[in-house]
Amino acid sequence: MKFLKRLVFKLYVLFLMGFTVWYGMFMYPLIFGFEGKEEAAESLRELSHSKSADEEMFDRLIEEQSRTSRTDLGFKVIEQPYIEGRFHHIGFSVQKDQASICVRCHGNVPHNKSKELRSFMNMHAFYLACETCHMPAEKGEPGYEYRWYDKDTGKLVPNPRVLHDIEDSYRSAVRSYPTYGNYGAKIAPGIEENGKFRWLHGKKDMAFVERYISEQERLDQEQKSQMKRVIHRGVSKEPVACKRCHNEEGQFLPFARLGYPPRRTDELTNSSVVGMIQKYKEFYIPSFLTPGIEDDDEDKEEQEQQAEE
Amino acid sequence: MNACYSYKSFALLAVIVSLIAFSDQVPAGDELNCVMCHKHRGLSRIDENGEFRLFYINQELFDSGPHRRNKCKDCHTDIDRIPHKPAKKVDCAQQCHIVEPSGQKKFTHKPIADTLARSAHGKLDADGKPKPYQDDFPECKDCHDQPFYRPISVYKGKVKSGVSERAVTRCKACHTSGDFAEDFYEHVTSRLRKTRFPLETIEVCAKCHQDPDFRERHELDDVVTTYKQTFHGKLIALGSEKTPDCLDCHVVAGENTHLIESQTVPSSAVYKDNVPTTCRTEDCHTKAGANLAGFQTHVTYDRKKYPLQFYMLMGFKALMALVLYFFLTLIFLELLRRLFPNFTFIKEKSVDSSPQQKKS
Amino acid sequence: MPRYDPIVEKDGKRYFFRFSVHQRVQHVILFSSVLLLAITGFPLRHAEEPWARPLYDFMGGPDLAPLIHRAAGTVLLGLFVYHTIYWIVLFIRDDLGKLKAQGKLNLRTGTRAFFSQEMVPNMKDFHDVVHAWKYLLYFTNRPPRHEKMSWREKFDYFAPYWGIPILGPAGVLLWWRDEITHYVPGIVLNAAYIMHTDEALLAVLFLFFVHWYNVHYAPEKFPAATVWLTGYLTEDEMIHEHYADYVKVMIEQGLEEEIRPQHFGGQEYNW
Repeated sequence: MKFLKRLVFKLYVLFLMGFTVWYGMFMYPLIFGFEGKEEAAESLRELSHSKSADEEMFDRLIEEQSRTSRTDLGFKVIEQPYIEGRFHHIGFSVQKDQASICVRCHGNVPHNKSKELRSFMNMHAFYLACETCHMPAEKGEPGYEYRWYDKDTGKLVPNPRVLHDIEDSYRSAVRSYPTYGNYGAKIAPGIEENGKFRWLHGKKDMAFVERYISEQERLDQEQKSQMKRVIHRGVSKEPVACKRCHNEEGQFLPFARLGYPPRRTDELTNSSVVGMIQKYKEFYIPSFLTPGIEDDDEDKEEQEQQAEE
Repeated sequence: MNACYSYKSFALLAVIVSLIAFSDQVPAGDELNCVMCHKHRGLSRIDENGEFRLFYINQELFDSGPHRRNKCKDCHTDIDRIPHKPAKKVDCAQQCHIVEPSGQKKFTHKPIADTLARSAHGKLDADGKPKPYQDDFPECKDCHDQPFYRPISVYKGKVKSGVSERAVTRCKACHTSGDFAEDFYEHVTSRLRKTRFPLETIEVCAKCHQDPDFRERHELDDVVTTYKQTFHGKLIALGSEKTPDCLDCHVVAGENTHLIESQTVPSSAVYKDNVPTTCRTEDCHTKAGANLAGFQTHVTYDRKKYPLQFYMLMGFKALMALVLYFFLTLIFLELLRRLFPNFTFIKEKSVDSSPQQKKS
Repeated sequence: MPRYDPIVEKDGKRYFFRFSVHQRVQHVILFSSVLLLAITGFPLRHAEEPWARPLYDFMGGPDLAPLIHRAAGTVLLGLFVYHTIYWIVLFIRDDLGKLKAQGKLNLRTGTRAFFSQEMVPNMKDFHDVVHAWKYLLYFTNRPPRHEKMSWREKFDYFAPYWGIPILGPAGVLLWWRDEITHYVPGIVLNAAYIMHTDEALLAVLFLFFVHWYNVHYAPEKFPAATVWLTGYLTEDEMIHEHYADYVKVMIEQGLEEEIRPQHFGGQEYNW
């Protein structure tokens, strides 16, 4: 008993000694720091000297990554992601795709070649997995099944509720603001075998990508090419064209099964969207419906980009 | 070529018309049905300079401010077709389709732009020559994003944020058409108080005035940090709307907030002779003596500029360090001593003979 | 005035008198007003820290917290003045009065009486400081033998005596900033601001560690000393902290035979 008492005593004394040291460190900035800001400003000044514009942009991006803006209207507070120089409000943050093997390298905003289309295609990349358009089933083979997967976990999820909110907003007399495209899930191809569903790209493929990324620096160029070839196996040269979904006769994606209600489906396969695509094709770029094939102009641009890299 | 172009335009017009015809719910400001694409959160790209460009429009938030009565094309005048090429920068001083009700003239932000040009933030100096570092001088978008309404309601003497449905109902008795009553109510009551929360105003100024490089170029003190160390700044940080932000003291009396002048200009609100008046304005330190102006607001603790403050600060820091670390060391050693109660270099005789010592 | 026995025996244990009810009440008022001042003042001093706003809102926010702060400040200043008068009255009545009754009152004896008051630092304290460092650096195994008030207690006592004259007037100036600027230049407020905020930091950092170590954290005190409530110290505490006084009181009370030896390090301590 006495021994235990002494042990507790000694431990407590040791704890207090630790506390004393901590307090000394805690006080230090309060006493010697200039409210903590002057020093920060000073070090920032040192940092920002002798930096090129590009370096500054990199720093800014890293800083901005977690930066939000806060607007207090008194009756509500709006927190939203901050983008330098943006005038219009964004309103909410989005879920980034953590589950796609393509996004690991190509990012969430992958399209940048075709000037006229890149924003549209990035818009689609928000709710369509890359494989959906870039890895269609070969001719003559049975087609894939398309389902929604969760952007965080990659697991199969039910059709997004937001699609119904969108449908309801068409009918409701009160103005409502459903969000388009931000479903927290993406449509991806898979295979149904013996009543069991599996994704076209599963955990195994993710493991390949992870290994490639972690080993990248140790590999030589040939090995890299070999591995990339394996990872990209099955990627089609010609992606699925816009009109394969946006047409009235029969769609590449099973809209109804994916949870698109009739009115919304109609909107996507009918006049407004299809009409725009059609006119666009005629008056802007004849190669519009086959976006994989670029005109000369863009080839040049790409070469320049590669030269820069 | 020309003919071809006009043919294209005609066809496009047809597209546009058909688009309008087929979309059921087009917001007030969206005749072109721009939102057909721009409502998508993912409409974005990374541009040639590596900047992330997001083309998404949050309609709900767009509808929460005075611009909701504008069509997209009112500001983005160069867009006449969809899909379109990259849009030009918006000129806020251009006329838009909204008619300013008091004078029946088309609305424009030009008077504001003119005021700004006269102020310390204008790009030209008094002689009409460009000031150095032209890029540092702000344009509309550098301080403003899409404005929001911040309406208030008053009922039985109780003021709170938000729209008063009671009041709108009364307006609607006569002003029945469209959303006029709602718009007018929000527009006017937002003007009864500051349209931005003070903390947000300070952040706007801080964008430039806290940037070390910017301050060095223009030989300015860190006024934002020093402001945040005043009672004014601290109370605002704690959520008060009653203490002054930057604009309350720096805007020239009787002018709109865009006229801020350098302290060297005699008409400036912070010109030496005007400070007492600025402090003693009707809503602030009304009872104060003129000496209150002698209070130094933006104290940087620079030794040469603010010797009194500098030496006082250093004195207190030295005192604190001395007292606190002395006792901290003492306590640390005392605790250590408790772990080795009997160890000593020199034993005292009187102590050796104590019974307790023998026991342990 | 109630009389206090120097030693009270209860359940076979001895308790030694330290503070009268009057003094204990003053201490309660002192610490409550200081705590209130600290929790209404520090959110303002560190307004940008994440904890500041919730704490400030809890204390009534920008509308109410300043009123609480000023009320507590007024109480503290009042107490300061009251205590100073109390101190002077006691000195004149007890110390000088005794000398006068004996007919020995003159400048020399009066000065000596002043410095032999229990709270006033004297040469013994200087020796105790030196001794304390000798003990802490293992040059002796005998802890210092303090009299009624140890030098650390005297420091604790005089900390408000230097703190309040700096904090109080500065606070008053900042409170009545509009009125006083009719008479003094504005830069006085700058000085008052630094005095108020920096001295407050010193006071709080000192209180929350050094004073709270003495009465809360120290192993023999944890979780809290009770003398501020009861006014009495246990025999163990007396031996540990005020051995000289302990011996003196025991002899005065005719308990010379039962004086226990000084003990060390707290280990023999009934902790």
